[in-house]
Amino acid sequence: MKASSSKGSRWFSTSIISILGSIITIILLVRLVLPSSLSLTASMFKPYVPNFKNVPDVEFYDLRNYQGHKDGWQRGDKILFCVPLRDAAEHLPMFFDHLNAMTYPHNLIDLSFLVSDSSDDTMGVLLSNLQNAQSQKDKSKRFGNIEIFEKDFGQIIGQSFSDRHGFAAQGPRRKLMARARNWLGSVAIKPYHSWVYWRDVDVETIPTTIMEDLMHHDKDVIVPNVWRPLPDWLGNIQPYDLNSWKESEGGMQLADSLDEDAVIVEGYPEYATWRPHLAYMRDPNGDPEEEMQLDGIGGVSILSKAKVFRTGSHFPAFSFQKHAETEAFGKLSRAMNYNVVGLPHYVIWHIYEPSTEDLKHMAWMAEEEKRKVEETRIKEFYDKIWDSGFDDVRDDWASEKSDILLNIDLTSDPQKKVEVDWSDDDVEMQEANAALAANAKAAMANGNAQAQAQAQAAVDAANAAAANAAAGNNIGMKAAAPQPAAPGFEVAADFDPSKN
Amino acid sequence: MGSLSLLSYKVRKNPVVTVLLPLLALLSIYMLVFRTDDSILGIQRLDIANHKWAHEAEGTWYFPFTSRFKMPRYSYKSQHNWLFNDHVDDIIPEGHIAHYDLNKLHARADAAIDKERVLILTPLQSFDQRYWDNIMQLSYPRELIELGFIIPRTKTGEDALKQLEAAVKRVQSDKKNQRFAKVTILKQDSQSFDKLQEKERHALSVQKERRAAMALARNELLFSTIGPHTSWVLWLDADIVETPVNLIQDMTAHDKAVLAANVFQRYHDNDKNEDAIRPYDFNNWQESDIGRELASKMQPDEIIVEGYAEIATYRPLMAHFHNANNPVDEEMMLDGVGGGCTLVKAEVHRDGAMFPNFPFYHLIETEGFAKMAKRLNYEVFGLPNYLVYHKEEFNN
Repeated sequence: MKASSSKGSRWFSTSIISILGSIITIILLVRLVLPSSLSLTASMFKPYVPNFKNVPDVEFYDLRNYQGHKDGWQRGDKILFCVPLRDAAEHLPMFFDHLNAMTYPHNLIDLSFLVSDSSDDTMGVLLSNLQNAQSQKDKSKRFGNIEIFEKDFGQIIGQSFSDRHGFAAQGPRRKLMARARNWLGSVAIKPYHSWVYWRDVDVETIPTTIMEDLMHHDKDVIVPNVWRPLPDWLGNIQPYDLNSWKESEGGMQLADSLDEDAVIVEGYPEYATWRPHLAYMRDPNGDPEEEMQLDGIGGVSILSKAKVFRTGSHFPAFSFQKHAETEAFGKLSRAMNYNVVGLPHYVIWHIYEPSTEDLKHMAWMAEEEKRKVEETRIKEFYDKIWDSGFDDVRDDWASEKSDILLNIDLTSDPQKKVEVDWSDDDVEMQEANAALAANAKAAMANGNAQAQAQAQAAVDAANAAAANAAAGNNIGMKAAAPQPAAPGFEVAADFDPSKN
Repeated sequence: MGSLSLLSYKVRKNPVVTVLLPLLALLSIYMLVFRTDDSILGIQRLDIANHKWAHEAEGTWYFPFTSRFKMPRYSYKSQHNWLFNDHVDDIIPEGHIAHYDLNKLHARADAAIDKERVLILTPLQSFDQRYWDNIMQLSYPRELIELGFIIPRTKTGEDALKQLEAAVKRVQSDKKNQRFAKVTILKQDSQSFDKLQEKERHALSVQKERRAAMALARNELLFSTIGPHTSWVLWLDADIVETPVNLIQDMTAHDKAVLAANVFQRYHDNDKNEDAIRPYDFNNWQESDIGRELASKMQPDEIIVEGYAEIATYRPLMAHFHNANNPVDEEMMLDGVGGGCTLVKAEVHRDGAMFPNFPFYHLIETEGFAKMAKRLNYEVFGLPNYLVYHKEEFNN
């Protein structure tokens, strides 16, 4: 009884399993045999899709398929990679190294370049780099669609660091750059792009997973923090991109006080906005996933959903809410109800370009370096000469000092009577002084130049004698002194007869 | 005091405490006085004693983020489900390296002779055969015309798409010289622009919402289709059923950055019992002092729309400047334009002039576009005597 019932239930369960299995198999077979676009399922579950497969020059896109997923690299989301270029030949090799190292599937990346107003061989370097990239053996390393646009806008200012970053140049410069970006963005974006990534070429250090790192936040517009390295003498590191900020009361007040076409630029003392900058929010130990709401953003590395640009947000080339270019792009996107976010603790590193001030300082430092080398060389030489050419008699002087200054009271009291001990005075010295006095008197009497010359000679002689006799100077020279010791001469000068 | 003496009494009575108390005292004296190392503060074991700055821990100043945190490990396995998937892939052209010199692109008076490409853009709520026939009768060379349509995600949109598909297939399968250079059809995903019926869509309260949705659709259409060859963009509404045959040549000949034709409507005048025309599009206007004053008093998120008694701006409307006796090519400066039939140089759009879906100087959509073009230093003109016709509305 027991055995039969267990047998029956087993039969029951196996039959159920087999029935279920065959039903599933039939469903699968039906799904497989009938292609996914079959009208039966299509009309029931999804909107109508026209078929233009064999019709020339007609394209149909359902924009719902291109809204951008947070795991776009797994879903085949195409990225439009926009790079504005101007005189960028020297940075391009580094840029292409970064490109090639990127982990986002390369075939999903469409590259678009705008080459404008370049005086160097930007175009040539770009083309050769692109050809290298697209002829790589590993086909998965090659990129998708590549478009290069050329358009000159006329340069109003130079391209050196200080030209570009001077205060007066900012407004017109930003508007011009905004135009360039818009020309690139508007012609390059296709209906099938899900994301748009704006990148400057002069980024030095950037994670290879930059796309995934930004994309998985699933925000409409997102920027990393941008810093730059500095030389040691400037403090090693510095926040670079001050265009990413949150609006402040001060900023709004300033905006209200300016005229319609004015452009507020960050990081200049002329416009104190007191805004919290993304760059200064960095905590090196902070969580890289942390987000911060922004109102204005910088253009070094922007990842945005393509729909943001498609629905009309762009880099205003006019003063939009007193801003232009990327900062105004942030403001415009906010006005269009998109979220704009920055990552304070996730940093990419811009290259360091010295400013004119820095260049001056560096030139000065190089000069200083040279001067120091020269100085030590000369000092070594002098030290050698000094050691071999001169005797250090300071120790002798210390011991002889008490004898020589026997009669001199070293206390400075002028009232104190000086007692002179003439007892062992030198006879020769007395004679010399007597001669001197006699000559001087004669010169006074004659009152002519000849006598003066004679007196001079007499003084010389007397001094030489005195020097020989006394050797009373504090540092005696071993070699014969070419000139008389100074004190004796001064005595003679006091006797200048012509003045009497 | 009593409790204290009680305590001392208890201490004396309890031998354990009498032994422990001195011991404890000795220990604390030793701890406080004789142990000289820092452990009394207890900081050796804490982070602060061997604290490292981030750049010391990382061994460099230039790191993207500290290695204390790991970014998520990304999987590169495709999420594409080949079995249960109703998604139909669009046909995307193959990749290549292309090179375009936009310096050579121009938009000048002799557009047809200079072989300049014109992009005709139409937000298509419903397909009207007369609209299509009108497009087909334009005399501008078809190999220089690109068409762009955006279709809302609604039932009527689906019907329009089917009709459009048939029409496009017919012309593009025709002889080569009869084909358009390119036709792009988009299906909208943003807020649909035709949700409201003819009757209520002109109500003032829904204007802002409706026109914001329309602006989004126009932008999506524009920035998806404008290409490196485009010289001119002609905005032509799906309701425009009659235009002169030489529409594009006539309008490009004026060589203006933004140029609007006057949109009229044919109707049957029941009183006089004859066919007549009346102005239709009131979005082409010049700014008035009253309009400016109104705007200055408005809240930042309010908009001014034309043609409503609630907002009397007294702006000179181009629709009212029509005079059949004046020359057709008469021009008139404008500050706001409509989207009925407006020709725009592609560079205006490329510079960034788009259709705001938010109040831009209290203007929205096409009128906001005109303002933005002006902010970009372009001039906006209209042709009061050059008429195109909107289809009739039978809702009264």
